[in-house]
Amino acid sequence: MSAALEYAHYQFEGNDELCLKVGSHHPKTILLIPPLFDEMNRMRRMLLDVMRLLDAKGIGSALPDLPGTNESLFPQERASLMIWRQALFACTSELSVAPYVASFRGGCLIDDFVEDVKLWRFSPVKGQMLMKTMMRTRIASDKEAGLSTNMAQLTAEAGQGQVNLAGNNIGSALFSQLEEAFPSPVRAVRTTQLESSTRAADTKLPGSALWLRAEPDDDLLLSAAIADDLALWISE
Amino acid sequence: MSENLDLTPEAAVRAVMQDILGLDADQVSAFTADTELFGALPELDSMAVAGLLTELEDRLDIMIEDDEVDGEMFETFGNLVAFAEMKAAE
Repeated sequence: MSAALEYAHYQFEGNDELCLKVGSHHPKTILLIPPLFDEMNRMRRMLLDVMRLLDAKGIGSALPDLPGTNESLFPQERASLMIWRQALFACTSELSVAPYVASFRGGCLIDDFVEDVKLWRFSPVKGQMLMKTMMRTRIASDKEAGLSTNMAQLTAEAGQGQVNLAGNNIGSALFSQLEEAFPSPVRAVRTTQLESSTRAADTKLPGSALWLRAEPDDDLLLSAAIADDLALWISE
Repeated sequence: MSENLDLTPEAAVRAVMQDILGLDADQVSAFTADTELFGALPELDSMAVAGLLTELEDRLDIMIEDDEVDGEMFETFGNLVAFAEMKAAE
């Protein structure tokens, strides 16, 4: 797997945002919307493997940084679901990516940034679940430092501007949006889950829940299954 | 999406532990009630525990309050399963 990575950029609110591309010479390109927060770090390597495998199948892919994540210089506390949707729109317009969108975990919360695209989802998650895990991590690390914090306090702190959860500065807008956010019910979507999941899905894929793993890791079984399913979906 | 199929609390705990530790099904099926968890497994740090609780809530359709969580619950696999069974029965 030696496909060349292209470090493309798109403009958003005056910042240069990174967008990794592989195989941009192919006739079709899939936009990959990464998981949010720490889940993105744990799954990034797997996603890059998916991109290389897609390239070998003659399919291009693009993986943008969402403002305030990864390499982005956008102020983290200003990020919101709306900002991320706008950024995805800017990215797809500038780099002529779409109309194929594949979103992963929390990325499924913002894949409704444009109409008339074919959507593919992997293990979609509610915003509240992501928030709860991050709040629990903060509570646990406070406890180790001898501080007693609870979710109500963190919610109040977020309401006053921003709150730091598991290393992320979450602004009040994003905090309240995530509490309510769920993947938008759209008609044309192919939903995939892990074989170990009990949730309803159009198809189940082998592999492990990398987002639960303590350290980032790859999973070639999963990345190959995802690339195969994406290739099947895009050919329909 | 809440179309969760029936899953026993023990099966859910086993499946989540498998995902967190990156084990295969055979390895995690060897876990017994006495298998030590927190402290014995370096992967099981506070962030992993946070993910484990949220994932159990989701898979078993339960709610876990902060004040119900203590260190003892993570000492052994048996303790964690007992907690999940207690919550699922509520």
